[in-house]
Amino acid sequence: MTTTSLAKEKLHVINTHVHNIDGIAKVTGRATYSFDVKLPGMLYGKILRSPHPHAKIINIDASKALALHGVKAVVTGKDTLGVKQGIWRRYSELCDEQILPVEKVRYIGEPVAAVAAITEEIAEAALDLIEVEYEVLEGVYEPYEAMKKEAPEIHEGVERNINVTRHIEWGDVETGFEQADYIREDHFFCGGQAHMCMETRSAVASYTPEGKLTIYHSNQSAYYMQALMAGVLGMKEGNVRVIAQYVGGGFGGKFELDGAIFTSCILSMKLHRPVKVIYTREEDFIATKRRTPMHYWVRTGIKKDGTFCAREARVVSNGGAYTGMGATALYLTGFFHSFPYRWENYRYDGYRVYTNTLPSTSMRGFGAPQAMFCSEQQLEWIAADLGLDPIEMRRKNGHYAGYEVPGQAFIASCGLDEAFTVMKEWIAKKGKLPANRGIGFSAAGFMSGGIFNWFDTPYSFSSAVVTINQDATVELHIGATEIGQGSNTTMAIIAAETLGVKVEDIKVHSGDTDHCPADLGAWGSRQTLMTGNATKRACEDAKAQLLEFAYAKMGLNIVYDLDIKDRWVHIVARPERGMPFDELVTIALRGKDGQRIIGRGFYTPHRKGMISPAYSYMLQGVEVDIDPETGKIELLDSLTAHDCGQPINHLGLIGQLEGAFSMAAGYGYLEYMPYEDGKLMNPNLVDYKMIRATEMPETPIHDIDTYEPEGPYGAKEAGEGLTNPTAAAIGNAIFHALGVQMKECPIRPHMIVDALKEKAEKEKAGK
Amino acid sequence: MAFKCPACKKQWDVSLQVARHIFGTGDKKHREWIESQGVSYADLLVQQATNPGNASYQTVADLVEKAQDKL
Amino acid sequence: MEKKIITLRVNKQDYELYINPKTLLVEAIRDYIGLTGTKRGCETVSCGACSVLVGDLAVKACSVLAMQCDGMEITTSEGLEDNGKLAPIQKAFLDEGAYQCGFCTSGMLMTTSGLLKENANPTKQEVKEAIEGNICRCTGYNSIVRAVERVAKGMYKEESL
Repeated sequence: MTTTSLAKEKLHVINTHVHNIDGIAKVTGRATYSFDVKLPGMLYGKILRSPHPHAKIINIDASKALALHGVKAVVTGKDTLGVKQGIWRRYSELCDEQILPVEKVRYIGEPVAAVAAITEEIAEAALDLIEVEYEVLEGVYEPYEAMKKEAPEIHEGVERNINVTRHIEWGDVETGFEQADYIREDHFFCGGQAHMCMETRSAVASYTPEGKLTIYHSNQSAYYMQALMAGVLGMKEGNVRVIAQYVGGGFGGKFELDGAIFTSCILSMKLHRPVKVIYTREEDFIATKRRTPMHYWVRTGIKKDGTFCAREARVVSNGGAYTGMGATALYLTGFFHSFPYRWENYRYDGYRVYTNTLPSTSMRGFGAPQAMFCSEQQLEWIAADLGLDPIEMRRKNGHYAGYEVPGQAFIASCGLDEAFTVMKEWIAKKGKLPANRGIGFSAAGFMSGGIFNWFDTPYSFSSAVVTINQDATVELHIGATEIGQGSNTTMAIIAAETLGVKVEDIKVHSGDTDHCPADLGAWGSRQTLMTGNATKRACEDAKAQLLEFAYAKMGLNIVYDLDIKDRWVHIVARPERGMPFDELVTIALRGKDGQRIIGRGFYTPHRKGMISPAYSYMLQGVEVDIDPETGKIELLDSLTAHDCGQPINHLGLIGQLEGAFSMAAGYGYLEYMPYEDGKLMNPNLVDYKMIRATEMPETPIHDIDTYEPEGPYGAKEAGEGLTNPTAAAIGNAIFHALGVQMKECPIRPHMIVDALKEKAEKEKAGK
Repeated sequence: MAFKCPACKKQWDVSLQVARHIFGTGDKKHREWIESQGVSYADLLVQQATNPGNASYQTVADLVEKAQDKL
Repeated sequence: MEKKIITLRVNKQDYELYINPKTLLVEAIRDYIGLTGTKRGCETVSCGACSVLVGDLAVKACSVLAMQCDGMEITTSEGLEDNGKLAPIQKAFLDEGAYQCGFCTSGMLMTTSGLLKENANPTKQEVKEAIEGNICRCTGYNSIVRAVERVAKGMYKEESL
C-alpha cells in the first residue's frame, strides 16, 4: 500500500526538519545522566566479582573490609531475598538469575559482594579486603561441550544445560525439498558483540525511612526496572520510582536488571542513604550481557529458475550463564531467518545452551543479524552456483504487501521490490571494479515491536496522557524511554501533528515511573509504532474534547468538519474561518468548570499474528576493498534502501540508519569477543575494535515511500532493522571480490588469508 | 487422522508435527511425558541439535502414535 | 602523597583546588569543580568522551594530571556557549543531528572545536582523522563530519559575529 496523496497533504509537522527536543541539553553539557547524578550524603558502591567461571561460594568474610575507615556496609547474596529473577516472568524456570548469587557463581565477573563507602577509592580498596572462599567447579564454555553427558551442571536440574528450545514451522518441508532442483547446506558461526554503550551501567539508589525507593538508572525501560526491582526487593511497584531521563545508549543491553541497579538498591536499603554504583568500562564488558553467539546450520532447496522451495535451519546458541532476553533472541532469529522471502515450507529449530560465560541476550537486531549473515550469504552462493541474478532471484521470492507469512504474520506494507530496483541501479552504476574490490548487498526485514507478553504485564503495551495547559502549551506524559534514538522528539512530532500545534508547544515527560504511564520501553523497535499510536490516540482524545467547544462556539451545521493545524482551529472546507488554538482552550476551560483537558491513549496489538504488528524492509549495499596479503577489509562506499513506512522524524531517521550501519559493519568485520576458559580476552576499548570515524564510508540513504496502516501516520520500524543485513553484505562483497565464502563473523583478516590459501591450494590440486 | 499431543492434547494431522511441538514447547509437562516413555528428553534433544536429519523427532513421533489409543 | 593547591582556569573562571597530585584533569573538572558535561567512557584513553580544550588544543582529560594544567586555560562543552548564545559548532550539531544519546557529544564538540582552531578549513579526511580517537556508538560519525563541514563552510559566521 502506498501513501494516498490525501494522507500526504495533511501532514504539517511529520517528516519536516526538526531539531531533537533534547538537543540543546546535549550540545551544551546540561544533560545529566545517571552517571552524573550526585545526591546529598551519597555513598559510593563497588562490586566484588567472581574470578572463577564456575564455583560454589562457601564463605564470605567481610570483617576486614568493614573495619576500613570510610566503609559503611558490605552486602552479599545473603543480605537479599535471593529471588531468582528474569524478564520472562511468565515462565518461572526461565527466571534464573540472582544478581548477587547466594550459592554459586556461573561466570567470570559475576557479582559476589558489594561495598558502600564514603569515596569510590575506599570502596575499591575495601574489595581487596573481602575474603571469599570458593569451591571451584569445572566450567564449560561452548554449547556443544555443555550438552555432553559428562559436562558440569550449571543450573540445578537443567539436564544437559539446555535452557530453551524453540520451534517454528510452516508448510511441508520434506515435500518442499523433494521439489527442489538444487539443495545447499552450510554451517555458520556468528560471534557475540558487546553493546558498548558510551554510558556504562550506572545507578544511584536512594531508600528513605518511609519505605520509598528512588532510583536513577541508565536503562531502556523504566517500567521494567520498576517491576523487576519491586519483585526482587519484595516491595510494591508503586513504592519504587525509577528515573531514566538521559540514557547514554542502550542497544538492547539495558532492559534487564544489572549489578549497578541491584547493588545500589540493596546497599541503600541497608544504610538509608543514597548509593551510587557505576561500572568501569572493563566491568561493562565482562559483567553485563552480549549479543548471542549462534551456530547456524542452514539447508535450502531451490528450483533451477530460482523459485524458493524449502528451508530448514537449526541453531545452537551460546546462552552464557543466564536466560535474560536470550530466549526471545532465539525465537526471533528463527523467524527473521525466513525474511524477507516467501518460503512456502520453512522449519526452524533453536536450542539455547547454558555455559559458564557472560550471559547472552538481545542486541540491536535481536537475533536477526545472525540470521541474515547466514541466510543472505547462502542465497548469494546459491545464485552463483546456479548462475542466477542474485537480485532477481531474491525479488522473485520477496515479500509484498498483502502477503501472509503462513500462520505467523501479515505484511500490510512492503517496499522491498523498489529497494531491489534501487540496489540494482547502484550496483550497475559502479561498473567494473578493480582487483580485490567487491560489492555485496543483503536484504532483511524487521519488526515494529513485539506482540508477545512474556513479561506478563497487566498494562497496555504503551500508554500516553496529554494535558493541555491554559496557555495552549501541552504536557505529554509517556512511558517510552528516550535512549538517544530520539523517541521524545518523535512523540512530540506526532503530538504536534495530531493536536495541530507546533513541536515547541509540546513538553515531553518520559522515563520517570512516578509521573509517566507504564510502557514496555525502548526495545524491539516498538516505540514509534506502539507509543506513537498511544500518543496519537491521547492527542485525538484531547482534540475531540476541545473541538466540541469549537462546534458549540461557532454554531456550525454538523456536516462541517473542524480541524486544528498550526495553532489555528478552523473549518476544513473554509480554512480561513476559525479561531486561535489558545482561545479555544480558554473557552473549553470555562465550559468545563476549570478542569484541564486531559487526553488518554493506549496501544496493545491485537490480531496481528505471532510476532509484530508491522514489518520494515531494507537492503544494504557495501563496496569493500580487501588487501589479499593481510586480509584487511576497507569499506569504501555503501547504499541503504529502506522502507520504514512514513518517516516521522527526518533527521532522527538519517541518524538511526547511519548509526545502525556502523554498529552492523562492526559486527561484520571488527567486533570480536574471544573467550579463553571463560575469560573475555579483550575487555577494553584498545583491544575491542569497532568502527571509528576513519573506517566509516559514505552512507547515502534511499527512503522508499510506503504507508503502514497499523502505524501512526503510516510509520513503522527504523534504526534497528538495518543492523540485520550489513554483515552479510560485507561477506557477499568479499565473495565477489575474491571468490571465498566467509562462514564466520566477525570476518577477521586471518580468515580471509586462510580462505585464499585454501582456495589457491584447491585450484592447484584441480589443475 | 489427527494426532493429539499426549501432554497438552493439542492436535495435528501428522505425528511428526506433534513431536516438533513437544520439543519446541519443551516445558516441564512435555519433558515429563517423554521421560515417562522411557527415553531421555535431553539425549533426544542433543541428538537433534548436533546431528543432521530428524531421528529424534521420528522417535518421539513413533511414541506419540503409540500413545494415541490411551488418550 | 601530599595534597597540592592548583589553579585551573575553566571556562574563563578560576578555580583554586586542593587536590592529590595524581588527580586526573577529568576528575578535577567533574568531581571537584562539578562540571559534568565532560564524560568518562573508559580507563584506557581510548574513547574521547572526556575531551576538553587545554589552551587551543583538544586533549583527553583522562590522559593528563590536573597538576599539569595548573594555571592553564581549559574549555569544556559548558564553556562553548556565551550566556545562552550557542557556538557555531553547537548549532551545526543541532542542524545535522550529530548526536543521539549525547554521551560522547561533549567530547566530540571539544575535539572538533580544537580541530577548527588549528585548521579552519579541514578536508573530510582530516575531520575523520581528528575524531578517530573519539568513539560514538550511536551516529556512525558521518553527521558529525557534516556538522564540522558546515562550520568550516562559514554557515554560521554572520550569526556568530
